[in-house]
Amino acid sequence: MEHFALWLGGFLTLGIFSFLYKDNPWYKLTEAIYVGISAGYFVVVYFWDNFYSKFWVGVFPHKRLNEAGELVAGVEPDYWLIIGGVLGLLMLMRLLPKVGWISRWPLAFIVGATAGLWLINYFASFVMVQIQNTVTPLFGADYNASLFVIVGNIVVAVGTFTGLIYFFFSKEHKGAFGSAARVGIFFLMITFGASFGYTVMSRMSLLIGRIDFLFGDWLGMIR
Amino acid sequence: MKRQVPIIITFLIGMIMIFSFFIPPLEGLEQTCSLFFDVIAVFAFFLGGGNLMRIHVNKLRRRKKDWGFSIVTLGGFFIMLAAGLLKIGNPGGIAASPTTEGSLLQEIFTYVFLPLQSTMYALLAFFVASASYRAFRAKNREATILLIAAFVILLGRTPFGMLLTGWIPESFSVLQVPNMAIWIMNSPNLAGQRAIMIGIGLGVISMSLRLILGIERTYLGDESA
Amino acid sequence: MSSHPMTSRPLYFIILSFLFTFFPSCGGSSIALAQAEPIDIATTQMIPDSEQVVVEPVTSLIAADHKYDDGGMIDLSWVPSIDDQLVASRVIGYKVYRIEDEGEPEMISELAPGSNTYNDQSVERGKLYSYFVSTLSINAETPSVRTAPIEPQREWLNYELLNVLIMALVLGGAVIYFIETARRGKKLFVRKIAGLEAVDEAIGRATEMGRPILFIPGILDMDDVQTLAALTILGRVARIIADYDTKIFMPVSRSLVMTAGRETIKASYQAAGRPDAYSDDMVTYITDEQFGYVAAVDGIMVREKPATCFLLGAFFAESLILAETGNSVGAIQIAGTARPAQLPFFIAACDFTLIGEELFAASAYLSGEPKQMGSLKGQDVGKAIAMAAILIGILTVTIGDAWNVEWIQNITTGLVDVFSTR
Repeated sequence: MEHFALWLGGFLTLGIFSFLYKDNPWYKLTEAIYVGISAGYFVVVYFWDNFYSKFWVGVFPHKRLNEAGELVAGVEPDYWLIIGGVLGLLMLMRLLPKVGWISRWPLAFIVGATAGLWLINYFASFVMVQIQNTVTPLFGADYNASLFVIVGNIVVAVGTFTGLIYFFFSKEHKGAFGSAARVGIFFLMITFGASFGYTVMSRMSLLIGRIDFLFGDWLGMIR
Repeated sequence: MKRQVPIIITFLIGMIMIFSFFIPPLEGLEQTCSLFFDVIAVFAFFLGGGNLMRIHVNKLRRRKKDWGFSIVTLGGFFIMLAAGLLKIGNPGGIAASPTTEGSLLQEIFTYVFLPLQSTMYALLAFFVASASYRAFRAKNREATILLIAAFVILLGRTPFGMLLTGWIPESFSVLQVPNMAIWIMNSPNLAGQRAIMIGIGLGVISMSLRLILGIERTYLGDESA
Repeated sequence: MSSHPMTSRPLYFIILSFLFTFFPSCGGSSIALAQAEPIDIATTQMIPDSEQVVVEPVTSLIAADHKYDDGGMIDLSWVPSIDDQLVASRVIGYKVYRIEDEGEPEMISELAPGSNTYNDQSVERGKLYSYFVSTLSINAETPSVRTAPIEPQREWLNYELLNVLIMALVLGGAVIYFIETARRGKKLFVRKIAGLEAVDEAIGRATEMGRPILFIPGILDMDDVQTLAALTILGRVARIIADYDTKIFMPVSRSLVMTAGRETIKASYQAAGRPDAYSDDMVTYITDEQFGYVAAVDGIMVREKPATCFLLGAFFAESLILAETGNSVGAIQIAGTARPAQLPFFIAACDFTLIGEELFAASAYLSGEPKQMGSLKGQDVGKAIAMAAILIGILTVTIGDAWNVEWIQNITTGLVDVFSTR
């Protein structure tokens, strides 16, 4: 089994890598296996973890046995979950053309909940926290920061300010405003470059892992 | 009614979720909504899974291009469904978790799914190289800045960076590549990240309000918005 | 572990240690608080007194109603036992006991040495609770004095978040104000956003080349705002596609997104007067799995060779694979995400990138409708407030700290409090 698994892994790995050359039947086969297996896996996981464990057991909780084998009362049924079930069934009405319009109700519920929930969460964590964190003394507490730190603090303040100017929609990027916006894009490009450089190494390590499998575990060339 | 009811639902639920943040008795609603979402998503899976099957069965029946691969997709899909829903080959039987060690589902996951996933991840190394080549041609000022910042950070995270500038005296240690990399991450990068995040937060507020107030309705299939 | 007052008095500690070593029963529940009664729990009845390792109890046990909740939590805090030391500690842990409505004590939690707080989240309003904490040694348990009974209270408004509410109302009010202003006919200027100006041209290119358009709404579900943003943009883009009669493919990785995508595109075709041209096959579900989806989309890209790719929404590591593959087939790519970590890859591989906020503004921008554009002005008000707060805050905190000017420091404190989320 171990031997078969190794060869299967090697076959699938090279099938995916073959895409780098061009599209070919080997890649198509591997892709088909991947899509079928992964779609089936997630249906199973969602069914047992969400539908059964959260919904079915929530509405119809188990009765449990204690160590002596006596029936112990289960948890109380959570009838609120039935609302979720009803919304889910309304979603399935899409399959019936005449009443398909009712499937918009659960969509409306999800959109409303998502919008309402994230509105405050994003505002608090992305706007307020960032503003609060930017308000720091430029020359350090007690005026004892090194030149290095002072320059860094000034750069953070200027960069944040001009970065926000860049995102202004209701003013043309002209004149002094335009110059400030250009400084802002300068900072944004540094941010993107830093992110890029930061992730390159981790991407390489993923490839090293796969090469190690092919030449080490599968072909036994690396011991 | 077909148009109005969904808009009213969006408005009511949206406002309730906003105020649940500030009204302690409503705090549990977030978790309840998350639970409802999970349940709705499961029912929606019938639509998605059904669509997957329909597409591939149609391809098979009409002998469209590459119809043979649809057999593989459907075969894999049904094998996983059978292995997981009926818990075929599960050492713990029907009552055990579907992902129990030794079950058919878990074996397929380990020997088929994981190698495929790892290899797709490994493709990133090749694509990052080609993206770097394109970005590093530095056709304009912005691309040059991006290039320089990426280069400094990249070098700074390797021993080569230290080797390159290790000779610089301690009084000018800020010019050593690893220190420059740290400074870039802690200063200009932080500034850019903050500006982007503040913008995102404000954008989410604006878009969420448009959705809740019913100004934006395209997702409901209402083109009058 | 918080510092214990006794450890700062070495002589007192030495005397107590002598007493507890040679007279172990000296500790225990002999200390009582004024209004509380000592609890006499049998400290392991089976072991003779002389062999018990009796440790000092915790002190200053306070039970307080958790602020700004629905009456479902009580906070406990105490000063750990004097015998709870970092090295050679005789304390092996603590047990928290609860007495509900003068009933029997019930052990509700066991904590590690060094613990000095506990949040009891299983209380109910309308009931009285009192607590005591036992200090555990290897063979004995020393209870503390019991707290006075307390009833958890419900608060209707979380006053700690009042500043968040006010700021949210200010910003929300600004957005709504400008929406109304625009609705009444006032012209509002919005600068050009390159990526969005290119949408028409990109779709026209696909039409001329006779190649399809690929729309990818990210890989997260409908419970993510970026997916909602992508779907709102889809509505605008699909309308243009329907007008031009171009083919669109929208492979998705979530079933709910598939449903919403179909609703959106169908409505666009109906609005364009081409309901018969719409087909459910325009939007297909692939798989929930991140890289399985990417593998399939890559296959679609190289086989169908779309002329234009829209990559809008939430993306993770797969962003680079999608963008590079799209680039390799010669497609015009318009990308946008609010995940800063993925933006560099889109910038490197795509023709146009919507950066963060621009993704959420795109739908309003593309609609061209005054009331939608008004919301963009409201966003700018938010940015102006943020910039003013940052400028004033930095100036006041720098000057206030430098010259120790109290009124300036008060401004800083006030500003920081306004933007605090606790």
